[in-house]
Amino acid sequence: MMRTVEIFIVILIMTGAFLTASFYAVLPSPRQVSPLNLSRLALTTLETMDAKNDLSSVAFETTNDTAWNELQVALSASLPSDVIYNLTAYDISSSGGQNLYTVSRSISNTQSLGMGSDVASYMVASSNVTFTVTPQKIGVTLYILNCSDSAGWWITGYTVQSIAQQLAGMFASYFQPSSIVMVQNTTQLGQLLSGQPLGNETLQNAIVINTCGEPVPIPQSYATLYSSDYAHYCYQLGNCSQLYNWTWVSIVGYPFYYVTNTIALQGTQNTWGIYGITEIGPAGLNAFLEGIDGQPYSNNGNWITDSPGVVTLTSAALENCSYYGIFPSPTQTSTRALPESVTTQYDLSVATNVLNPTGGSIPGAVLNHAFKNETNVITGSLFALGLTRVPDTRLAALGILSNYNPTLYKSEYTAAGTSKLVVLQLGLAGG
Amino acid sequence: MTGATIDHLVAVTIFLAALLLFIGFYDQMNQTAVVYQYHSYIATECTNILDSIMLNPGTPPNWGVSGSSTQNLTFFGLQDPEFQEYDLSPFSVMRLASTTNQVYYSQTGQWYNNVSWGLNGAYLLLQTSDCISYHEATNLLGINGTYDFQLTVTPTLTVNVTQIPGTDLKLEVQVYGSGGFPLSNANLNYLMFWANTSSGGFPTLNSNFTSEPIQTNSTGIALEEFPSLSSTTAFTFIVKVYTVGLSGMGYLSQATITNTGNIIPYIQSFDNGTANMVLAQKYGSNDPPVGMGNLYYNASFYALPDTFVPVFGENFAGEVNYGNPYQNLTVTTDNQTGFLEIAYGDGTNYGTVIAPLGINSLGLPVTFGSSPSGKDWVATDLRQVIIGDIAYQAKLSLWSLTGYQVTS
Repeated sequence: MMRTVEIFIVILIMTGAFLTASFYAVLPSPRQVSPLNLSRLALTTLETMDAKNDLSSVAFETTNDTAWNELQVALSASLPSDVIYNLTAYDISSSGGQNLYTVSRSISNTQSLGMGSDVASYMVASSNVTFTVTPQKIGVTLYILNCSDSAGWWITGYTVQSIAQQLAGMFASYFQPSSIVMVQNTTQLGQLLSGQPLGNETLQNAIVINTCGEPVPIPQSYATLYSSDYAHYCYQLGNCSQLYNWTWVSIVGYPFYYVTNTIALQGTQNTWGIYGITEIGPAGLNAFLEGIDGQPYSNNGNWITDSPGVVTLTSAALENCSYYGIFPSPTQTSTRALPESVTTQYDLSVATNVLNPTGGSIPGAVLNHAFKNETNVITGSLFALGLTRVPDTRLAALGILSNYNPTLYKSEYTAAGTSKLVVLQLGLAGG
Repeated sequence: MTGATIDHLVAVTIFLAALLLFIGFYDQMNQTAVVYQYHSYIATECTNILDSIMLNPGTPPNWGVSGSSTQNLTFFGLQDPEFQEYDLSPFSVMRLASTTNQVYYSQTGQWYNNVSWGLNGAYLLLQTSDCISYHEATNLLGINGTYDFQLTVTPTLTVNVTQIPGTDLKLEVQVYGSGGFPLSNANLNYLMFWANTSSGGFPTLNSNFTSEPIQTNSTGIALEEFPSLSSTTAFTFIVKVYTVGLSGMGYLSQATITNTGNIIPYIQSFDNGTANMVLAQKYGSNDPPVGMGNLYYNASFYALPDTFVPVFGENFAGEVNYGNPYQNLTVTTDNQTGFLEIAYGDGTNYGTVIAPLGINSLGLPVTFGSSPSGKDWVATDLRQVIIGDIAYQAKLSLWSLTGYQVTS
């Protein structure tokens, strides 16, 4: 009898163990096992209602009872009958670097959503908001050679002045207004070459864009001084670029192939009938490179550029096209590309490739000069786009922006009063 | 000694019985937990598959407008390739072939997917070879043999149009939301087509697109009367309903049977901006009897953009009869959604039917896949989607074909 009693005690213990295990092994309710994805339903409901910006409009009309009543009717109509909801719009304000969310208005079809609810949030913007993009300013001076006493060549279809205006427009938001300086005549250019700024701008580290194409403007005094050898003037430009750490930009063709001054050279023409221009030939570029590298001057008339033909924008340049919103053709034709040999011959290094190098030539790149004994100190740069005419000023702009990489600051989406946060919380009727 | 032995035997017997009973209890508990776990997994899979279908246009992405691509799909999805998020292509959804609801037309010898066979006078019958079958869809989704599903894409707003008996033509528009919620203060704009008698038996197709906006009342009902038209006029009424963030479509077309039958439009193919259609002479839903006379038609294609301002495309006029029971039409759609409005008649009696191109043109619903009826465990999930600018709800029901206590 004792054993039977013992067995009953064992059964009691096992029953207790089973009840204890059952108590802790709580199985979920069927709704929890196979739940409707309320979060996605809420998000798609908000997206659908804002497909025509209706939700955005109503969210900003917090005092318009009619609009909110219509929103509630639409919300009730779009959700299944067993789904209960609470839609709340929040004002967003900033305080101490943190966003504060304040309830603006709320609608609901229930007092409590129970424990099994889920939410989706959606940011809406006021229709009155204009989002702006503010570029970081490039902290150097931009000189645009807009010389009224110079002529252009290989800028077919444009004038020097029209190109200068295009460039000024493109760079307007990337420089301080006082840092974009139009060099109006060759006298002003001469002043710069003598180290005198035209106003309060900083001469050192400036960018100089030659808008004349293959010719380079020459002040009258220099035209007289170098009348027997205009290549020597280009040597002086190279010297100045080194001395003031200028970035000299040649937008098309063979750089420094001609000099131009419509007064000093009014009786001569470039052999193609354009007066005010005198041909230097390849010696101009060689002289500039000698000047920037501080080598002794020699009149070297050897042709050094290549003609690789069709060239393409680099992947970095293509990315910058999207970033800065400048979209030149990704393929270009290069007939005056600098050879790679100039980098070793004149202590130059490629800082930024705009066009992919091909076959030993550099069709479009910013080349930085640094002396061998001070390789980390840049002393002048040359950005030569060795493309055939007609010039595309967008390429010049893209190259300079790629080289300086100014950041674009976009306006904050959560700016006070411009955005609201709409939160839709959904639950199932019955908890 | 004997008493102790009996005591021992009784104790052991009771112990073994109790042990077996408790093992059964624990096993039952474990099995229930495993089944619950599997149910939860099916629910997760349901969400994933629904999002996969809604958020991918498929490959190639333009298969909705290119019928020839339908048979070469390498991925299945319904998203409109020109949009993001839950915007569905009206043409991809149109190509979802029903497993059971197909019709055969003996004159062309082809089967057509039946999205709408005369529902309120609308016919959307696209040849099945231009549609994607349920079997192909499950293969492309990688769930063939593992799961079955049913996808329903239904308009969020139900818009019913009914004719009120009387002398003049008077229509009642009822607007309901999901779950039968009446939509009050909704704005309505409509298009009206009607057929008139003209010389030679050909019907004249008239239209009025300059309706004044009307509103539903507190019970979601709006009335519109056309005093210049009698109640026996053959007409097609298309109405667009709009409230904050929601749009819906409704329609009614008077597809009467004349003495020489009626017209049923079939879509032979819909490929890269061109719809090849067949206008067939029928008698009700049957083939016309021997010796059936001439039935004249006058059809116009209109593109219907989101602005609800129809853009006229082409007009077609002709006749069908017993010797020539159908006519082929080549309709240039330029991949725009719209509809072919067809007026027909025998010279005395007239009727109208409408063939939408794009599921949203008339706000038609689509059901795709197998039936969940009789399945032990079916997981469902729901998304709000947009087709054109019409609000729809996409509901996926999913069930497993393998596993314990999840199949029928």
